[in-house]
Amino acid sequence: MKKKKFSLSDLMRSKITWAVIAELLILLVCFIIRPEFFSISYQPTTGMLYGSLIDILNRSAEITIIAMGMTLVIALGGTDLSVGALVAVSGAIALKFLRWDVSAYPTPGDYTIYPFVLVLLVPLAVCTLMGLFNGVMIANVGMQPIIATLILMVAGRGVAQILTNGKQFTTLYTPFRFIGQGSLFCLPMPIVISAIVVAAVALFTRKTAFGTMVESVGINPSASRLSGINAKAVILIVFALTGLLSGIAGLIYSSRIMSNDSNNAGLNYEMDAILAVVIGGTNMSGGKFSLAGTVIGSIIIRTIVTFVYYFGIVSEATMAFKALIIAVVIVLQSEPAREWFAKRAKNRQDRMSAAVKGDA
Amino acid sequence: MPQEAILEMKGIEIQFPGVKALDKVDFTLNKGEIHALLGENGAGKSTLIKCLTGVHHMDAGKILLDGEEIVPTSPQDAIKMGISTVFQEVNLCQNLSVAENIFVGRQPMKRHQIDWKELNRRAAALMSRFHLDIDVTRPLSYYSTAIQQMVSIARAVDIQAKILILDEPTSSLDENEVQLLFEVMRELKADGMGIIFITHFLDQVFAVSDRLTILRNGHLIGTFQASEISKLELVTQMIGKDMDVIFNLKRAEVADDAPYTLTASRIGAPGVISSVSLNLKKGELMGFAGLLGSGRTETAEMFFGIGHPTTGEITMDGQPVSFREPCDAIAKRIAFCPEDRKRDGIIGDLSIRENIMLAVQARKGFMHPMSHQEQSELAEKYIKLLGIATPNAEKKVGELSGGNQQKVILARWMATDPEVLILDEPTRGIDVGAKAEIQRLMLEMCGEGVSVIFISSELDEIIRCSNRIVVMRDREKVGEVDGESCTQQTILNIIAGGAKEGEEAV
Repeated sequence: MKKKKFSLSDLMRSKITWAVIAELLILLVCFIIRPEFFSISYQPTTGMLYGSLIDILNRSAEITIIAMGMTLVIALGGTDLSVGALVAVSGAIALKFLRWDVSAYPTPGDYTIYPFVLVLLVPLAVCTLMGLFNGVMIANVGMQPIIATLILMVAGRGVAQILTNGKQFTTLYTPFRFIGQGSLFCLPMPIVISAIVVAAVALFTRKTAFGTMVESVGINPSASRLSGINAKAVILIVFALTGLLSGIAGLIYSSRIMSNDSNNAGLNYEMDAILAVVIGGTNMSGGKFSLAGTVIGSIIIRTIVTFVYYFGIVSEATMAFKALIIAVVIVLQSEPAREWFAKRAKNRQDRMSAAVKGDA
Repeated sequence: MPQEAILEMKGIEIQFPGVKALDKVDFTLNKGEIHALLGENGAGKSTLIKCLTGVHHMDAGKILLDGEEIVPTSPQDAIKMGISTVFQEVNLCQNLSVAENIFVGRQPMKRHQIDWKELNRRAAALMSRFHLDIDVTRPLSYYSTAIQQMVSIARAVDIQAKILILDEPTSSLDENEVQLLFEVMRELKADGMGIIFITHFLDQVFAVSDRLTILRNGHLIGTFQASEISKLELVTQMIGKDMDVIFNLKRAEVADDAPYTLTASRIGAPGVISSVSLNLKKGELMGFAGLLGSGRTETAEMFFGIGHPTTGEITMDGQPVSFREPCDAIAKRIAFCPEDRKRDGIIGDLSIRENIMLAVQARKGFMHPMSHQEQSELAEKYIKLLGIATPNAEKKVGELSGGNQQKVILARWMATDPEVLILDEPTRGIDVGAKAEIQRLMLEMCGEGVSVIFISSELDEIIRCSNRIVVMRDREKVGEVDGESCTQQTILNIIAGGAKEGEEAV
């Protein structure tokens, strides 16, 4: 069988193409201003690679992980606003299980009274259940996703406060530090964890029929149900999964600061995750989704932030600058812009093939 | 009747990439005339209408309105010239009131504010002209599709239209509503309006049209007086080949001792249906006749886990069954093609391949995925078997014509190898050729031992195909007749209240 002919105009029509182009453009600007931006060095004392590019991947891990779930939620035609709050809940529970016997040790150190397994499993289990609660509200009670998840968005941080009695705990427990600050194969752990999560979600959706079912329910719930798809189960699985992923992100976040922060942990993560999905080319109204696009979207968001820090743009301007770049990316990706570029590409290809014919 | 032309389209040509959509088509509409525009899907009917309403631009030809040449550039432009169109799908806002819908964009004003009293008064007056005494302040979604359709016609008419184009206006209406629409059409005609009527229902063409124009593959076949052409001739002209396919369908043969596959004894649910009993034999085709809203669809839905009987019992192969969800029914090898293809059938953005494999995959569960290869083979098999017109299996289903979409849904269910196949209005809104093919497929499946329940508003196709016909009225089964020996009149009599259940009409 002959492979489909490569067409520049098809490529120009794809949203992912434009996300990649936008990312490369930002990096190009970085390179022009200061080529050292690209330098990567090996630190033998920690056994880790360092550099801005590594830092971008490292710091985008939480959003990438959450955005994997958010992609599926958006493909179903919904949104999940509670992910940021779940990050805080996850951190609060983890730190609660990292308490130690204060009478024996007056200062924080490398000790905990609960087994480390519980420190990991309980936050993840609770976050999965909270995600499931979102799912039940939507699938069984019939609430709109944005409203249903608003409940936990507001309540989640309250729960985190209650769990920790409004206190901020700290720890110096080494195995916990490894999650956010350790390294594997010279790479920071968050990168490794996010790579594993991306691979797992990709396998789960594309190697089983789950991805197609999510798309089907997102495009036409009624027809999907009549085709025998258990739409409720699909919704429950997707929201529970998003809860679990938020929990993982919460562990990474709290391990980075070795503390819990019910007010600021995961703040605005829901917006960044939604943005990553949209930049990645998945339509907010549901349907076809692209996990690869979402990863690029998440990296773009972090690249912008890193750019701002690296070049010392005043911190007051950070948000405005981020908004500006994102606005440009979204406009480049918009239907009219892509059509315009696609047409240009087509005309050029036609002219070129005409010229080739003329020569022959 | 004055033979004064209100609209003349001459030598219209439209070229689409790779295909000539219209080739030198002439069309003349007289004042005070109902003119049917006929042809199969893709014959060029909608293209001609879109050309008249400024959606497409002609490559050659001209349009004369009242003798003056016009070049409509957009639908708004066409409306200003007095050309109003009512489409098959209701193009109104569900959440606005009936009155708002009629006058949106041109509300009567008083001191820079909308004069609600006047607005509602005028809307009510307009609706009463259509013999509809409804509360115009209620949201449109409160009313049935039929009334919504009337509202969109009322809106079109009220915009001082000279020409009214009705594109498949009757496909969601029941018999009474169709008659009401016809009455309105005749009144408008008496007022001197020219009406272009597009429909797949040939009986309706003869009931209401003065003249008819037939298109085939973008060519004009001819314009005829409705009184001077027979139905057979008309169909032959439309498809361009003999109609043996339609008129030589063989009813399924069912042995007297064939086992029952699906039975229902006195199933009912309050406000849905009451006490319906029936038994379906293996390889039998059972027709469901009755007006829209008579409980036909609701009964069928009970067999598929969409509706739930609160009384009575359903058995399958002798075993009592109860379905909580459609997936439970699918597990028992029941299949259901729903009435509303767009809303409940197709997954528009997914490919033909994905749409066809969906039900099989759903039954297997998502943890047992079919490989891409298996999916493609399945899709290719049914594309060939059902003659689905598409370049490949990866085309989005939403981009196919209605008839082909219906075939994709049929393929989805045939692929599940069903024991009972329920088809709710499978031939609505699709052209004669595709209709005949779907009827043929249905009967072929009966021949292979599948039991089929066939719901349709068109009595002639029910009578042509069914072994037995269940007649429903007011959410009750009011009769059951033998398909072979009954006539349309028998069924109409039962619907009208002539016979009760238990009396076998002859």
